[in-house]
Amino acid sequence: MVDTPQRPEPTVAPEPPPMISVEGLTKHYGAVLAIDGVCFSVAQGEVVGFLGPNGAGKTTTMRILCGSLGATAGTASVGGVDVQAHPIQVKARIGYLPESPPLYKGMGVRNYLRFAAAIKGTKAPVEAIERVLEQVGLLEKVGGMPAADRIIGHLSKGFQQRVGLAQALIHDPDVLILDEPTSGLDPAQRKEIRDLLLALARESRRTVILSTHVLADVEAICGRVVIIDQGTIVAQDSIESLRGQAGRVRVVLKRPSLEAVAELQALDGVHGVETGTDGGYMLSVSGDCRTQIADVAVPHGLLELREDQSLEEIYLRLTGGDR
Amino acid sequence: MKKVLAIAGRELRAYFSTPVGWLCLTGFVGVTGIFFALMTTEFAAQATRDQFNPYAPSQLNLTDWLIQPFFANTAVILLMICPALSMSLFAEDRRSGALELLLAAPVSSTQIVLGKYLGSLGFVTAMLATTLPMTGVLYWLGTPDTGVILCAYLATFLLAASFMAVGMLTSACTTSQVVALVLSFGLLLTLWVLSWTAGLGDLGEAVAAISMLSHLEQLSKGLLHVEDAVYFLSFIGFFVFATTQRVEAYRWR
Repeated sequence: MVDTPQRPEPTVAPEPPPMISVEGLTKHYGAVLAIDGVCFSVAQGEVVGFLGPNGAGKTTTMRILCGSLGATAGTASVGGVDVQAHPIQVKARIGYLPESPPLYKGMGVRNYLRFAAAIKGTKAPVEAIERVLEQVGLLEKVGGMPAADRIIGHLSKGFQQRVGLAQALIHDPDVLILDEPTSGLDPAQRKEIRDLLLALARESRRTVILSTHVLADVEAICGRVVIIDQGTIVAQDSIESLRGQAGRVRVVLKRPSLEAVAELQALDGVHGVETGTDGGYMLSVSGDCRTQIADVAVPHGLLELREDQSLEEIYLRLTGGDR
Repeated sequence: MKKVLAIAGRELRAYFSTPVGWLCLTGFVGVTGIFFALMTTEFAAQATRDQFNPYAPSQLNLTDWLIQPFFANTAVILLMICPALSMSLFAEDRRSGALELLLAAPVSSTQIVLGKYLGSLGFVTAMLATTLPMTGVLYWLGTPDTGVILCAYLATFLLAASFMAVGMLTSACTTSQVVALVLSFGLLLTLWVLSWTAGLGDLGEAVAAISMLSHLEQLSKGLLHVEDAVYFLSFIGFFVFATTQRVEAYRWR
């Protein structure tokens, strides 16, 4: 018998471990239950929107992830390292921007960033400071001199938010956690911050969790959303499949008729048809059945066919805000 | 250690960029200066009178007549100024939300507390250093006992450090600087007057031993006892440790 050289077993590439994994996270503030058994995970490079009404537990969850708050039960880990067990190690990999940016308003922007760099143990702080100043647009001139050379307290709220963002980025973290980065800003400032976040999100290696109330921001920036309500996760999915779950489709026909309505109603996946005023129909559907609808509707003179489910509606339905 | 120094440096610079820091510094320099001027004038007058008094001691003692009373007065001034210096340490950071920067940074609660404490001690040291020209004048006027002066400075520094440690704990317990100020001043004043119980039997003696004043006496005479040094160091250690526990508790609220 001849020994054939053993061929190495074909190895299946293991699923990369999630960058952030949260399991059964629970937090009591005294008698108040802030979050209750929150579970979710975020893969490396993913940009996740964290949604929920005020007081739903977004900030609590984020603070636990950042190690600035301890959990009552459950575990949170970043890059496979438990936050509670090795907080220093984890914090070195996280950049956190709380809802109100943690600024020393009496300090100059550069001095503040130098301090942030020092306590985060940033290597080559001078280069790091210039890099983030450039990244968040603080080298722009405000009132005749670059924002970076001014006292933080003298800057507008939008620029202060950028300083907060610069602080979160200074140590080039793997994970960026942003708590309502666009709250309290005027529309122009909001757009600026949003563009900044978009640019950050495109750097695919960085994992970002972003909480916000501005659903348009989520749609623009995030690939996936986690929705939390009253301390529990009510949905976590990509925006597309959330839309598809229980969608509404708007159909406008050139020749609306009872016959057309009956045909549409007979389709699989169509639960109901409401008649609009302009010859349009609103269909409640489950799953993506646009093709079938089109097949039926074209003979009746199809003018318009579109999914009419905004993220806002989904959000309101899931968080019970539409009741 | 680098991170501790970074926090200390920021804290120290913050004193010099706020009105409170400058007000306390100015007040301290002003009041100690006035006391010193009055005392030296009084001393000079006494010396002149004694020249014509055949029964007076051959030489007036600088230690008893000037150094001790001056540092005793400085101690009282510090009792009033230190709560104002320590009130912002944690209360202000918590109110403004800037503490979140420290809590989310890869530093331990101990590092945060030590950094802030060292920074505040840096300012206190700078404040005490403003009295150096005054003690320098003593060398110009006469021949003071250097050992006594050094010991008095050590005592004053330890006392101020104790005040700051108490103030830091009260500052960590509230988000209002005013509450921190009132709390620490009340606490310090209570600890101060505890020494008055010294004459009331054994229990009185024991209670008095808790007071800073009881341990200051020997030190300001130029006598460095181990028990006094141990007292101040453990007093500071206790309050710094308690503050660390308080800061750790922020994460568990």
